[in-house]
Amino acid sequence: MTDFKRLLETLSGVEFILVGGVAATAHGSVRLTVDLDIVYRRTKENVRKVALALAGVNPYLRGAPPGLPFRWDEETIWRGLNFTLTTELGAIDLLGEITGGGGFDDLLPHCVRLEPFGIPCLCLSLKKLIQVKRAAGRPKDFDAVAELEAILEQTAEAP
Amino acid sequence: MADKQELRLDPDPVIEAYKQHIDLTLIRESLKLTVTERMERLLEMQRLAEEMKRAGRVAKPAR
Repeated sequence: MTDFKRLLETLSGVEFILVGGVAATAHGSVRLTVDLDIVYRRTKENVRKVALALAGVNPYLRGAPPGLPFRWDEETIWRGLNFTLTTELGAIDLLGEITGGGGFDDLLPHCVRLEPFGIPCLCLSLKKLIQVKRAAGRPKDFDAVAELEAILEQTAEAP
Repeated sequence: MADKQELRLDPDPVIEAYKQHIDLTLIRESLKLTVTERMERLLEMQRLAEEMKRAGRVAKPAR
């Protein structure tokens, strides 16, 4: 189980944008999601913060066999881009870029500010979330996109 | 929730077909909640899913 609240607290001070299923939940989705997807800013300073923030929750490559050499530090993040991780607080996808959306700075104009559990964070807007999920073109997302579009229609119709 | 840059989303026939099966009553209820309440409900769903998985692993035949 993923403790979203504690993961968000752990990421305090890191520049990131909520995307994926948790962003969908924030917009009103009723679908179950089990991981936290974030797009982090690829600057030296922020990558250092990401490395430090998650170091205390033992990040490891999700699905990788136990014992595989994996060092969690700034250099590892710089050498990679997107990481699917398991931590003591649950699953987190740490994304440098997303299909159809690009990186943090590309997504920033399409964000809303939220405070789930009183924790300030940026979240991809509903429309942009739909756009990037459409761009990914994964059949498993069709149902999720349909739900998000229905939410968009409902909110547009709201008084 | 507004987007600072206007994005255009043209209808996609595949998504429109999927949309026919969306339960709008659940969405309307969800939209009445705050963001924190929606995320708390997500945590409850996760707990339920974990518990049902656990129960499924130890399930015995009814007869």
